[in-house]
Amino acid sequence: MKTLMIKTHEAWIEVLMAGFMSRTSNKQVLFDFSDILFRHFTWLENELIELGESYSYDRDTIPIKVERLSDLLQNIVIRLNEIDLQLMSSPDKELAGRIASDLHYMTDVIHKMDDEVITAFNMERKFPGIKLTQEATDALTLFLFEESYKEYELIMIYNYLKAHSNDAYMNRIFQILIDESFFHLKSFGDMQAKMGLLAVPRIVMKELYQVDDVVQFLKDGIDEELAAKEECKKLSEAVAQDSQELAKFFDFINHQENYHIALMEDALKHFTKDTNV
Amino acid sequence: MNVDAQLIEHMMNPKNYGTLAGSNAEGIGKNPENGEKVAVYLRVGTDDDGAYIEDIAFQAIGCTTTVVAGSMITEEARELNINGVRNLIEATMKLLDKLPAEDAACSEMVALALGAAVDTYEERLDDPDFPVITYTVSNSCVPKEENQQEEEEV
Repeated sequence: MKTLMIKTHEAWIEVLMAGFMSRTSNKQVLFDFSDILFRHFTWLENELIELGESYSYDRDTIPIKVERLSDLLQNIVIRLNEIDLQLMSSPDKELAGRIASDLHYMTDVIHKMDDEVITAFNMERKFPGIKLTQEATDALTLFLFEESYKEYELIMIYNYLKAHSNDAYMNRIFQILIDESFFHLKSFGDMQAKMGLLAVPRIVMKELYQVDDVVQFLKDGIDEELAAKEECKKLSEAVAQDSQELAKFFDFINHQENYHIALMEDALKHFTKDTNV
Repeated sequence: MNVDAQLIEHMMNPKNYGTLAGSNAEGIGKNPENGEKVAVYLRVGTDDDGAYIEDIAFQAIGCTTTVVAGSMITEEARELNINGVRNLIEATMKLLDKLPAEDAACSEMVALALGAAVDTYEERLDDPDFPVITYTVSNSCVPKEENQQEEEEV
């Protein structure tokens, strides 16, 4: 079961990366499939929790550097077939059956996808249609690496908290935060691929998501969101001279952080009320 | 941070990132100022010349600079003997003054974690249950001018 969850985690990330690489109608299909694999991951996680088994979000490194999309798609099909085989060991036969049905369909669609030449790793650091100064390019490069990892980290943290909470009020908040982080991760990953800088976010350390003190985590989280707003503002200013379009995008992301802050403040209020902290 | 091709390569594919199966020592470098932390895992082997780094890995709670520093330093440390690792740590510490404050704190944290892992290994030669050693950075992540400004405001 644990191996099954790890393999599903890896497949989710690998398909998401394939989505970033694609520049055709394959992109949305791959994004949708990666979302489905993420949900499989949460189903399997829930099963482990119900069985009382300990687990972590550790996984192997995922090689994604390819010249043609078909090379990565082949690896994905192999991975999905491995998961399909491992599903036989799952105690919940109904869940295994549902996941297997998805995998068979996805494998079939992926087999038929048109091939594409991949430019997501060429390190050219040029944003299509926009000419940035060296300073703005460097600032954007660092921001994308920093923030794409951060969004993945947040997805894992909120997902873990949600998986271990039976509080409907908190779970609504965690789910919105997961959805928001997915949107940001997809936006930043897409930009990384366009600039030839695509990379798999690094593995998240256990102590980050196995949170002992939720109140402190939420307080730190609010501070981090405020810092992220500042980073977006700085980046917007750095690119404004070269591209109003990019500047507006980072202003939009900056203002989106206000939702996260409001949600975390709400969670903090709710949590401290319940626990009398 | 000066962004060049070598740096981007380390950002895209950090070397030796993750935990290490069969490691026989671990060390931690910490920055209490911002809660950042690096863990270095070692598998130390021995040959006719003594102990050497057979395999190495690291994980970080930190920024991209920390990950780049971890990738570079652990790559340098691989296959060095214990004296070689200590020389690498010393050379890294000497370089810190030449780096911007935020880069210095990150590199120091990695070097300290590596030193802590080697020290843990040596302690475990006498006591196999010796706990993982943690060292704390002396460099501040915040540039000196900002620190001064904050102090003046207070």
